[in-house]
Amino acid sequence: MNEFVETLLEMKWHEPKSSYDVVIIGGGGHGLATAYYLATQHGITNVAVIEANYIGSGNSGRNTTIIRANYGIPESVRFYQHSLELYAGLEDETGCWIMHATKGLLWIAHTETGMRAERARAMINTACGAETHVVGPQEIKQICPQIDLTGNGRYPVLGASYHVGAATARHDRVVWAYAQGAMQRGVTVLQHTKVTGLIRAGERVVGVETDRGPIWAGIVMSAVGGNVTKIAAHADVRLPVRTHALQAFVTNAYAPGFSGIISDSELSCYVSQTPRGQMLIGAEFEPQPSYSMQSTFNSLASCAKKITNCLPFLRDLRVLRQWTGICDVSADFSPIMGFTGVDGFVISTGWGTWGFKGIPAGGEQMAQLIATGRTPDLIAPFALDRFARDHAMADLGSAGTR
Amino acid sequence: MSNRRIVVDGQPVTYSDGDSVATAILRGGEHPKYGGTLCLGGDCPNCSADVDGVPYVRTCQTPATPGLVVRRHPSTGNPSFPNVVQADITKTPLSDAVGVTRTEVDVVVIGAGASGTAAAAEARSTGHGVLVLDARDGNEVVAIYGGPTVIVRQPTGMAHIHAHQVIVATGAAELQPVCPGNNLRGIITARAAEQLHASGVSLPDAVAVGYLPADVPCIAVAGQIVRIEGNEHGSVTAVVTVDTDGTQTTTACSTLIVGLGFAPRDLLARMSFGLPVTVVGPAAEKFALPPCPTAGTVCPCSGVEVEDLEGVWARGFHELELVKRASLCGTGTCQGSVCGPHLQAFVAERSGSTPELFTARPASRQITLAEAAADTFTDVFRYSPLHDEHLALGAQMDRFGGWWRPWNYGDHTVEYWAVREAVSLGDVSTLGKLVVTGPDAVEFLERLYPTTVADIKPGRSRYVLLLNERGHLIDDGMICRETETRFVLTFTSGGAANAEMWLRDWAETWAMHVHILDRTMSLAAINVTGPLADELLQRVGLAEPPKFLQHRHTEVAGIACHVMRLSFTGEASFELHHAADQSVELWRALMAAGRDLGIKPHGLQALFGLRLEKGHVIVGMDTELDSTPRRLDMDWAVKMDKPFFLGQSALARTATLPDHRRLFGFTMPGAAPIEGSPIWSAGNIVGHVASSFNSPLMGHAVMLGWLKHTPFPEQVQIDGRTASITDLPFYDSEGRRARA
Amino acid sequence: MLALNTLRGIRVVAAPHVLDATLWPTHVAALRIAPDDIFAIEATEADAAGVAAADPHSIIVDEHGFVGCWLDHQQLEHITRHIEWHAPLHRPALVQGYVAGVPAKIWLTNERSLLLCAGPYAADLMERVA
Repeated sequence: MNEFVETLLEMKWHEPKSSYDVVIIGGGGHGLATAYYLATQHGITNVAVIEANYIGSGNSGRNTTIIRANYGIPESVRFYQHSLELYAGLEDETGCWIMHATKGLLWIAHTETGMRAERARAMINTACGAETHVVGPQEIKQICPQIDLTGNGRYPVLGASYHVGAATARHDRVVWAYAQGAMQRGVTVLQHTKVTGLIRAGERVVGVETDRGPIWAGIVMSAVGGNVTKIAAHADVRLPVRTHALQAFVTNAYAPGFSGIISDSELSCYVSQTPRGQMLIGAEFEPQPSYSMQSTFNSLASCAKKITNCLPFLRDLRVLRQWTGICDVSADFSPIMGFTGVDGFVISTGWGTWGFKGIPAGGEQMAQLIATGRTPDLIAPFALDRFARDHAMADLGSAGTR
Repeated sequence: MSNRRIVVDGQPVTYSDGDSVATAILRGGEHPKYGGTLCLGGDCPNCSADVDGVPYVRTCQTPATPGLVVRRHPSTGNPSFPNVVQADITKTPLSDAVGVTRTEVDVVVIGAGASGTAAAAEARSTGHGVLVLDARDGNEVVAIYGGPTVIVRQPTGMAHIHAHQVIVATGAAELQPVCPGNNLRGIITARAAEQLHASGVSLPDAVAVGYLPADVPCIAVAGQIVRIEGNEHGSVTAVVTVDTDGTQTTTACSTLIVGLGFAPRDLLARMSFGLPVTVVGPAAEKFALPPCPTAGTVCPCSGVEVEDLEGVWARGFHELELVKRASLCGTGTCQGSVCGPHLQAFVAERSGSTPELFTARPASRQITLAEAAADTFTDVFRYSPLHDEHLALGAQMDRFGGWWRPWNYGDHTVEYWAVREAVSLGDVSTLGKLVVTGPDAVEFLERLYPTTVADIKPGRSRYVLLLNERGHLIDDGMICRETETRFVLTFTSGGAANAEMWLRDWAETWAMHVHILDRTMSLAAINVTGPLADELLQRVGLAEPPKFLQHRHTEVAGIACHVMRLSFTGEASFELHHAADQSVELWRALMAAGRDLGIKPHGLQALFGLRLEKGHVIVGMDTELDSTPRRLDMDWAVKMDKPFFLGQSALARTATLPDHRRLFGFTMPGAAPIEGSPIWSAGNIVGHVASSFNSPLMGHAVMLGWLKHTPFPEQVQIDGRTASITDLPFYDSEGRRARA
Repeated sequence: MLALNTLRGIRVVAAPHVLDATLWPTHVAALRIAPDDIFAIEATEADAAGVAAADPHSIIVDEHGFVGCWLDHQQLEHITRHIEWHAPLHRPALVQGYVAGVPAKIWLTNERSLLLCAGPYAADLMERVA
């Protein structure tokens, strides 16, 4: 037996009913976390989570597992810092082992203007509760002894912002922890059930059509990843979202020896070592919109090239597996959470490359919104109508990153 | 031959011609991984070792060569990271040691077995060029990507093969036993036995279960394997089998040969969904699954036992993908090649239907990151023609907007004063420069820019904003009108490439009769700025320099220049646009002529401060994704009463909305705060500093900053100090110096 | 080591049919960069007088922004190792794309070939194909 075989969880699958108080489309992290917090914080358990494949089969099971809050605008820093803190308490709260480890994240810069961005990031992060320092080359070397500060002679490391609280957790296990917690309290999770439409009564959304028949709902939430524009279109909601592929790869497993998370702002690549010992390496999303999950050699080659500039020891590591997820990227790169303008239909989308880190806070806040009928302050800036109001939550310094 | 030796765990091991590393190790009586069934066909992970510093190399696929250094992975835990000698900044960068060949061919056939050979012959008979790749010939196919492109690892490097069609004829892999004792040393598949016997490796006390290897001396034992017994050294001592009637038999042996059946070797086939890839022969066959495993190691890569699968199943993980993810079965080096059929059998028995195996992902054979990145290059850095001049003047260079640019020449304050009090040169070769001509040129630019264009006279120029359809600023620059139908446009260095695409897209969308030429990299430009700029230019032959916001084609120091008078620094400024190959000559002539005027070049650091004193924004630094002219207090640059311009309808709509985002000027005694510092009011963050500068002239901090909460406070706290909103510009508010 | 030198000529942007009909002196290599865009190496504005007459809005300017070097077959073979794409078989042909990750062009003729790129890319191109 390896030490990572799941031995704590107990999934309780319930038989489907024809009607629920809340129906959540999408059995990934966000959908299941919302169901979990509805049950644990609001006592709402007559809830179904409908998943087209198996739970966590979308981006929840394809991301690079990084948890961080070092964003560029106060609203984002506060939201993700809250999420980071919820993550830190999740094992105690659920009794599940999500392999959470606080590691610290170095976001390294190679130019004066790059350093300017990292200094700004550190200032705004720390002011909003996410401890981040500016560090110089020698401190970087202490945190990450493997680094080549010359950047292979081409990308010299001038410094970095060091986000102390950044962490990683095993993505599947986050999904399962929320699924188990929700199901234990009576939430129904329906796998392999495709939502084919939304049922309307007048303007209001009152249920979902599925390939296994209609399911009625007091309120429907979309926590869909990848095909969200199609789901929203059933409610005549247009979303400023485009879907892009994002690729990543892991190496074989090596003895522990790389304790932090290293991220390169200029080259848009990042790496951490998983608890199993694999080096997990990712890049930015592909520039052209696509639903394709086909991996490309160009992505592997260029990401391998970029990451080895400053971390030459990776050159002789072997690539085990490369894969692709698809990201719903909003017009300002920030998520879209809350009411849609259509009664009975709320949404959590536009997570781009940041969905995993937002799972606990996104779930908790959406649960509160559903339970109270009011938008919580923490996510009010991320409402869909911000685009009509011309109040983008634009965080250019963090756009396109993990 | 004495040199036929490799080193295994520090000990010399002699090999014979044609041996793989695995064969050599077995010939020496050892096991490349201490234990586990060996297939010697590249399918299983059980011969992986560190070869010449690279862990996880399948030694059965690696030819033994003199002096090869092999280290077996630790028996428990993972191998360590390879040792790397740190790069030395005084030496040239690490070169890419891995070579790449690139070829194009009609048909690639993967696998030179019977089905592959037949497929290749058929393709050739129809006149196609065919390339056959087989791992046994040193062509390890790593993956098939879109194209299709076949990535191959060869002893000499990597091959990228672009094919029109790919035929996967990879055959079948042999099943490995899953039972107690299957981690012992001495278990080999029937094919491996044939291979070893043919190589002259002794297989002592060999017993075979299942189909028999050809021509290998062994005792055949009937029945199914129940368990394998071993001694304290981890070596096989006996196999226990069971007959159809339930009778168990123990047969002593040192070598157990297993012929248990086959599974399609279909990793490549399963990763090629949607590509022009055909699968033929055993790789496409549906083989019977092995019996549902009941005990033993099912996944040797991740160390998963059958009881682990049972455990996660009992916890509610009721499908193959979830069982895989909860146990990690199938997520190791062999990507499920060994455990896949057993995992399918396990799930099939419990769920009542045979599940598909998970999608295969690259890489089917592992390559190092260096091999993946071979002959791959990332960003190109652009060098101004004046790059060497800057270095000679002691510049610290920095990359900005994709170019190497002087950050400073040692002391940016000295450079600042040269601009404010004498004359200075700035290298602005990086600016975007487009020529637009045509009968529709005026109409085109009227639609493109929010300012009026028709009233710009030939020989005059105007500062312009470039907005997108949302009315958000995406770039800024100058329009210089040359004739009725010919314009020169400038853009920011970082925005130039996007601006060219933007113009071409809209010209096409609107079917404008215009011609566009991007001269960004063909022309260099030097900005001559400072109160003595005029005098300097006269010295080098420009008798009558153009007036503010005028431009002219003329010679400067004997070099043809397009001279544009404008000002970003706040002082009189002349941009001299000229042929890139004459830039050094012009720069030197200007520097020489200005020596007694106190001429100094200035870098970006000084420029950022100089322009900040004038309140000029830098797009992308001070502006944000959604910066409208109103938010930048630049409504003066927008003529809403024009018939049409890009962003007009959005601006009309948002003009009526309440807004609480605005860029302001701030001043504060003392040193400039860090750019990005939060701006506080009554204990709340109400914005942040976009740009800041210690003004040498004013002796205090000047800033551009965003306030994002209304009502906008008059006084705020930055860096623990009180700062005040101050009208822009901070310097020369009437613009006398720029016009002087 | 490649020595990339400034290529002098003119740049002509005009209606595609006008460029199609233009004849260039034999010593000029006219590189059709785009349907409406030619870089005519060793040409002068006088050589493009016909273009100016046929398309009064054409842009005809001196072009000194490219650097390049002529390659024999062996040198070309060396360069093409750094190209992921494949060149057409007909000659002469202009191919444009990444060479060792640098935006570049190759003018292929039966006798020899010209590798060229925009001047600011020269340093990286030389380093990478050295």
